[in-house]
Amino acid sequence: MPRIELIHISKKFGKFAAVDDLSMVIEDGSFITLLGPSGCGKTTTLRMIAGLETPSEGKIVIDGNTVFSSSEEIDISPAKRDIGFLFQNYALWPHMTVYQNIAFGLENLKWEKDKITLRVQELLSMLRITEFAGRYPAELSGGQQQRVAIARTLATSPKILLMDEPLSNLDAKLRMEMRTELKRLHLETKSTFIYVTHDQLEAMTLSTKICLLDKGILKQYDSPLGVYNMPGNTFTADFVGNPSINLIPFEVVSSEGPALLLQNNDMAIAYSAAAPLQAKPGDKVVIGIRPEFISVTDSHDIKATVYSSLPSGMETIIRLKIGEIFLNSVVFGSLDFPVGSELGIDLKGNKMLIFDYKGTLLGAGSACVKDKE
Amino acid sequence: MEIRYRIQSFLKKPHNIILLVVFMLLCYLTLVPMATMIRDTVLVHVGEAKRLKLPAFSYTLEHWRKVLVDATSLNIFYKPFLNSLLTSLGACLIALVLGGGFAWFVTRTNMRWKGILSSLCIFPYIMPSWTLALAWFNLFKNSLVGGSPGIISALTGIQTPNWLAYGPFPIAVVTGLHYAPFAYIMIGGILRNMDANLEEAALMLNASRFRIMYRITIPIVIPAVLSTFLLVFSSAMSSFAVPTFLGLPVRYQVLTTQLYRTLNGLNPGQGYVIALLMIILGVSILALNQKIIGKRKNYTTVTGKSSNIALVNLKKMRTPISIIIAVILFCVSVLPLLSFALESVILHPGDYSFDNFTLQFWFGTAEQNSMANSEPGLLLNPKLYSSLWHSVKLAISCAVCAGTIGFLAGYAIVRGRGTRLAEYVNNLAFFPYLMPSMAFSAIYLSMFAVRRGPVPALYGTFLLLVVTGTVKYLPFASRSGINAMFQLSKEIEEAGTILGVGWFKRMTRLVIPIQKSSFISGYLLPFTSCMRELSLFILLMTPNNQVLTTLLYYYNEKGWNQYSNGINLLIVIIVICINSIVNKVTGASIDKGIGG
Repeated sequence: MPRIELIHISKKFGKFAAVDDLSMVIEDGSFITLLGPSGCGKTTTLRMIAGLETPSEGKIVIDGNTVFSSSEEIDISPAKRDIGFLFQNYALWPHMTVYQNIAFGLENLKWEKDKITLRVQELLSMLRITEFAGRYPAELSGGQQQRVAIARTLATSPKILLMDEPLSNLDAKLRMEMRTELKRLHLETKSTFIYVTHDQLEAMTLSTKICLLDKGILKQYDSPLGVYNMPGNTFTADFVGNPSINLIPFEVVSSEGPALLLQNNDMAIAYSAAAPLQAKPGDKVVIGIRPEFISVTDSHDIKATVYSSLPSGMETIIRLKIGEIFLNSVVFGSLDFPVGSELGIDLKGNKMLIFDYKGTLLGAGSACVKDKE
Repeated sequence: MEIRYRIQSFLKKPHNIILLVVFMLLCYLTLVPMATMIRDTVLVHVGEAKRLKLPAFSYTLEHWRKVLVDATSLNIFYKPFLNSLLTSLGACLIALVLGGGFAWFVTRTNMRWKGILSSLCIFPYIMPSWTLALAWFNLFKNSLVGGSPGIISALTGIQTPNWLAYGPFPIAVVTGLHYAPFAYIMIGGILRNMDANLEEAALMLNASRFRIMYRITIPIVIPAVLSTFLLVFSSAMSSFAVPTFLGLPVRYQVLTTQLYRTLNGLNPGQGYVIALLMIILGVSILALNQKIIGKRKNYTTVTGKSSNIALVNLKKMRTPISIIIAVILFCVSVLPLLSFALESVILHPGDYSFDNFTLQFWFGTAEQNSMANSEPGLLLNPKLYSSLWHSVKLAISCAVCAGTIGFLAGYAIVRGRGTRLAEYVNNLAFFPYLMPSMAFSAIYLSMFAVRRGPVPALYGTFLLLVVTGTVKYLPFASRSGINAMFQLSKEIEEAGTILGVGWFKRMTRLVIPIQKSSFISGYLLPFTSCMRELSLFILLMTPNNQVLTTLLYYYNEKGWNQYSNGINLLIVIIVICINSIVNKVTGASIDKGIGG
């Protein structure tokens, strides 16, 4: 069963390291997303797994077989890795019909004609494109081209399917639809999916595990909810979640075991960590609060001014201002707030994150707003 | 009232005004001549009246009969026609195999010295096509047909066989070599722009390198290859200088040489018939080309990430292949120049011993050169300087006119895309490309030979040469204009319009600076072509406005080898120098103009 291991993989273009010492294990049957801002090395990683790009250093093992190793000088060709690859621009061959595009891979495997016909028919109906079999790619819409590309990739039933931002050229509605289909496909084919995206929502909703990369370095490799609730660092915390997390810098005023008193120019909070942590007065820390944990109240302990209010019907995103600090908050329900009005705020729950001044997660806990002395 | 409003709003858009003006200009300069020429095919010309026993300026179908269905037709038309077809096909094949092959090596393998080799490769295209013909002549000519032996015969003592020295074989090879860079630029451009993902997708699906090549790469490139083929074919059909140098010594006639003979002789009517037939052929080739490009399978693809496909590793063959290619390029690009230099310093042609070397054809005075018809050495020769001056003046005038009209036409065609007027202008601006140069100048000759309405007789004037050159090179300029405008999104100009920037300022401050190098290429192409042009001007030339190329032709006809080789060397050096200066200063280059 295919299990993919990347062991100390690096890829350098001249002096620039696109991927830097990346190690990870992708379990069989999982749906992994490689997530990160553009230029973070996610596509390069995907292409190295496929064999389209040669790593500068390291080892790649697929299903127990070493397919690449810089020390042992092994580099198995892409065709022999039993991998399907879905390109961002679909890469459909313009001179072949939909049918010919899908059948091409099967012809390469020297399948018999009628078996090919059967398999192509099966894929056409699975992806609901039967009526387009005789058309050329240029005569199809973006969504239809996308389905053809998927059918072509699935035709040879690869055990591993690599996808490079396959939905980025589609409009929002179609993208939503295709997400559902991809998740269904993952269940039906029982293959391992590795999916590159810069859209955190896509990563959150689709994958079993997210691999977050920044500047070629692995930042976190965890389940979507794990990444969301316990981001290992401020980069991860900020990248995942929409609207983004509130990251507020503070200075420790006093500490007594897990209880900390934190303060900055505009506000003060009492923080109570779930487990004791190392923090002494004078330390600089960052508190991370997800927007849904900031609720608005009528109490007037601390006043925040409404900077903007974006109601979407189901929920309203408000941007609040306290002194020089901006806070995002999500309020559920059909509500709107006049810009410039004043509201009280409250911090709910025990998932307030605390990071050290370098941005590394120290722990989680609860917090409440204090009067500033 | 409504019509007036519509006309008003039509004229409010600058591109419509340009389209209208260019349309009328092109109608006058291409359609009227065309009509004149059709009339000329059925007219009894002054020189023909006696032979045909018909009054001059009456109408007759005699010319058509002579060319197509008479006993003499075989020699007048059919044989030269077949010869033209044969040599052009041969030339196409050679150009595509060499140019396309080289393009593949440059874009898809790890060949060495790519940069220098690809700039060397453009040389034969910058040089006048007959440069190579003359070089071939210098190297391979034999004394069987009379005259002195060539370098090879002189050095080895072996008489080169006639088929190698003259006739269809060398014509095809030389024309093919001349257009190989063109094929390289066209096919290389497609290979470079082709989405590498298309090949990678096949690689992921277990296709072998060979299968990827013939199922994916070649089919995708084939439309470009076909249109290169057709363009090279029609250019080769209309080439005059090469068959003149290599065919005439053995009386091997092709359509263009036949055209020159008839137009310049006593049968201009037959000449016009041949010219018309050549134009019809050219138009059908273009129509075929359009049909191939406009097919159902649209080849414009969404360009993916600029990932480089793994280059084919030539492994052990890397250095040998690179060396072989370098040697071939040296032979076609540098060797010809060396042969001109050599031939121009030899006293008695055919004798390559050291004491036969002399610089008198470059520096000798008229008295010193008494044995060479008292023609002063090239660098002291007033004829050379006056024709050099005429050449440069002509090339610059044509480049400025063609480049500017081409840019404006390109701009207007792209902005007015989809309208019928833009379509007409687009086709009209390309039309001169299809007319063989010789036929084209023949038309202008007959159109401007006498005063017509307000237009005075222009024969013998410099203006006529400029008009002819401008219209003939307009296709190059308008193509680069169109290419440049397609790359520039409309919004860039619209952003200026919204800010209230006027049209002229939008052009000079936004459009032109952004696409500077493409536009300059639009000027460079007509300039280069004009400097090396022979067949277009040879009919229109009068002794008082000789250009370098016609002077060369004159020396060549007289058999003064050293002078013609010397001038040839000068032309090539001037053209290459100007090209590299413009390239260094502005970044524009020949390949940018046609590569798009």
